[in-house]
Amino acid sequence: MRFSENKYYIEKYVKCDNCGMLIYGDGLKSEELSNLLFCSDWCIDWYKSKAKGNDDPRIPLPKTGIHEIN
Amino acid sequence: MDMINMNIIESAMIAIAKEMGINVQKTAYSTIFSEAEDFTCALANREGELIAVADFCPSQIGGVPLLVRSMLKEIPLSEIDEGDVIVHNDPYRGGLHTPEHTVFKPIFIDGEISAFSVCVGHFVEVGGMAPGGFPGEATEIFHEGLRVPPVKIIKKGVDVPEVWKMMLANVRTPRGNYGDMRALISGVDLGEKRFEELVEKYGKDNFNKILRDLLDYSERRMRAEIAEFPDGVYRFVDKVEDDGIEDKEYEVHVAVHVQGDEVVIDYTGSSEQAKGPINATLGVAWSAAFNAMLHLTDQSIPKNSGCFRPIRVIAPAGTVMNVNYPGSEVGGNTETHPLIVAAIFGAMVECVPNRVMASEGTTHGCFVFGGHDHYTDEPFGGFDFSYVGYGGRSFADGNDATDSINGNCANTPMEVFETRFPWIVEEYALRPDSGGAGKYRGGLSNVKQMLCTGGMLVSQMTNKHKLGAWGLVGGGEGKTGATLFKKAGSDHWETAVEAYGKVSPSKYSNIPMRPGDRVRVLAPGGGGYGLASERARTDILSDVKEGYVSNADAIRQYSLDESDI
Repeated sequence: MRFSENKYYIEKYVKCDNCGMLIYGDGLKSEELSNLLFCSDWCIDWYKSKAKGNDDPRIPLPKTGIHEIN
Repeated sequence: MDMINMNIIESAMIAIAKEMGINVQKTAYSTIFSEAEDFTCALANREGELIAVADFCPSQIGGVPLLVRSMLKEIPLSEIDEGDVIVHNDPYRGGLHTPEHTVFKPIFIDGEISAFSVCVGHFVEVGGMAPGGFPGEATEIFHEGLRVPPVKIIKKGVDVPEVWKMMLANVRTPRGNYGDMRALISGVDLGEKRFEELVEKYGKDNFNKILRDLLDYSERRMRAEIAEFPDGVYRFVDKVEDDGIEDKEYEVHVAVHVQGDEVVIDYTGSSEQAKGPINATLGVAWSAAFNAMLHLTDQSIPKNSGCFRPIRVIAPAGTVMNVNYPGSEVGGNTETHPLIVAAIFGAMVECVPNRVMASEGTTHGCFVFGGHDHYTDEPFGGFDFSYVGYGGRSFADGNDATDSINGNCANTPMEVFETRFPWIVEEYALRPDSGGAGKYRGGLSNVKQMLCTGGMLVSQMTNKHKLGAWGLVGGGEGKTGATLFKKAGSDHWETAVEAYGKVSPSKYSNIPMRPGDRVRVLAPGGGGYGLASERARTDILSDVKEGYVSNADAIRQYSLDESDI
C-alpha cells in the first residue's frame, strides 16, 4: 500500500503476487522474479515451486500465522 | 499449561462477547441488528489476534484478525489513546464489504494497550447508488456507498463531530445509522469494562500467559484435526451464475492442499474479477476459508487466531476471489463467500465425506429497499433475508430454511417487518419440492410474498436463479430460486429481466415499486446427498405427509407408485 506523503490517501494498492495479501511495507523480492513482489519468504518459495511445475509444494507455514502484515 | 484457568478464562471471554452482542441488539435502531443479529462482537489482543468470539456471523468472525491488523497499520498502537473508538469499513483495507462497519476500542491495562474490544455490524444503508446497500448493478466501489478508512470517531472519550457529520451526511437514513453506530459503540464499551474486570481478577501477567497458552492450545487442536485428514490435493469448481452486468458465469476454483497438519487453500484459476459486485475482497477470501475449516473440524476447538495458524490462503489479486481497486464487491461477502465454502466442501468430500454437506442455497437473498415513509415522514431502508435449504449430509437431510452458512442471521418476525416497513406479508412458508432428492434430501428453502403499501426502490443481490445447488455422491440438485414481480393491476408474475429489462434476474438495482405492486421471493433449496433410490421409504412417505415433497415429485424423483401415497 503506497500512501501519499501526508498519509491522507492511498496512491497505489499493493498486493502479494502469490497470495494477494496487502503489502504495507517494502515487500520481498526474489532475484529470479525481480518483477514480482511478495509478502513473505513462504510465498516466494511456493510461487517458485509452482512455476517449476510442482502441483503440490510442501513448504511448512510460517510460525507467525497468516495474519502477519508486512 | 493451566488448563482449568485457561478454560475458565476462555469461557468468560466468550460470555463477554455474548453480553456485548446483547447490548448491541437491545440498543440498535435497525431490524438487521435488533432482529436478524447481523453483527459480531469479539476480543483481540494488542497484536491484532482474535482471542475470543461467540457464535455470531462466521463471515465477520474470520474477518476480525485482518481488520484489526490492517487498522493498526494506519493507526499504530502509539497513536491510540484510552477512550478512543476507531471505525473502519473499507473493503480495500482489510474490510469485508462496504456495509460491514467495524468499531474498535483499545483496552488499557496499567497504562498500556492490552487488547481491543471489537464489534462488526452490517449497516443497511451506506449511501451509494441504491437504497439498502446492495446495488446489484454497481461496477465500482464508489457506487456501493461511503468508504470509511480507519478513523477515530471518538477521541479520549469525546465524540469527533467532524467524522460523525461526514458519515451521516452520506447515507439516506442518518437517524437509523446514528443509532446503530451508538449500539456498536455500546458493545465495545461494555467489552472494555468486562475485560478489565477479568484481567484484574487473574492478574495481568498471569492472564497474558494464559492467553498465549490459549492461542497455542487452539493451534494444536486444529493441527491435530488436520493431521487426521488424508494428505492430498482436493479440487472443486463452482460457479456464480452472473454478475448483474453481463449474462455470463464466473468460476470459483478451489484446491485444498492437505499437508500433514497444515492446509493451503488455493483459489488459483478462478475467473478474473467481474464488472459487477460479486467479487470477494481479501478479507472475504480468507474468512470463507476459515469458515469452511471450522465447519470441517471439531466445533469445540477454541475459535481464535491460534486455530487459523495452520491455514494458508492463496487468493490471487484481480480475480473474483480478491478484487482489485476500484472494483465493486458488495456481493462478494454475501454470495461468493458461501459459494467458496460450498466449493471447499465439494473438494473435501473425497477427503472427509462424513464432515461435508452438499451445496446449500449459498445466498442471503439480500432483497433491499428504501424510500420515504409517508406515515412516519421519515426515510426508511430495509434488508430482507431469504432462508435457503442446506445440503444433505452423509447421515441426515439438509436443514430447512436456514440463513446461508456465513450469516447465522435470525428471522425477522412478520409483525416487526410490517410495522417498520411499508409491506404486508401475504405468504411466508417452506417451499415444497425445493430440496434436491437424495438418500438424504436437501433442505427446503422459503418463499415470501409481499404487497407493497408505499413507494420505494428495491434492489437485490442474490444467486442460484439459474444454477441450482449441486448434490453430492449422486444426490439431486436443489430447486433454483426466483424473484417475481406482479405490478398492480397485472395478473401475471414476471422476473426483473422480463418486467424491468434488467440483465440478471438475481442482481439488479433501483426497481420502482408502487402501492399495490407485489413481489414473490423464492429462495433456492439445498442439494441432496446420495442416490434418491437409497432413501428410506418411510422418509419419503413422511415427506409427502408433511407436505415437504409433493405427490408428483415423490413419483418422479423417488419412483413411488401413485398407489403408495
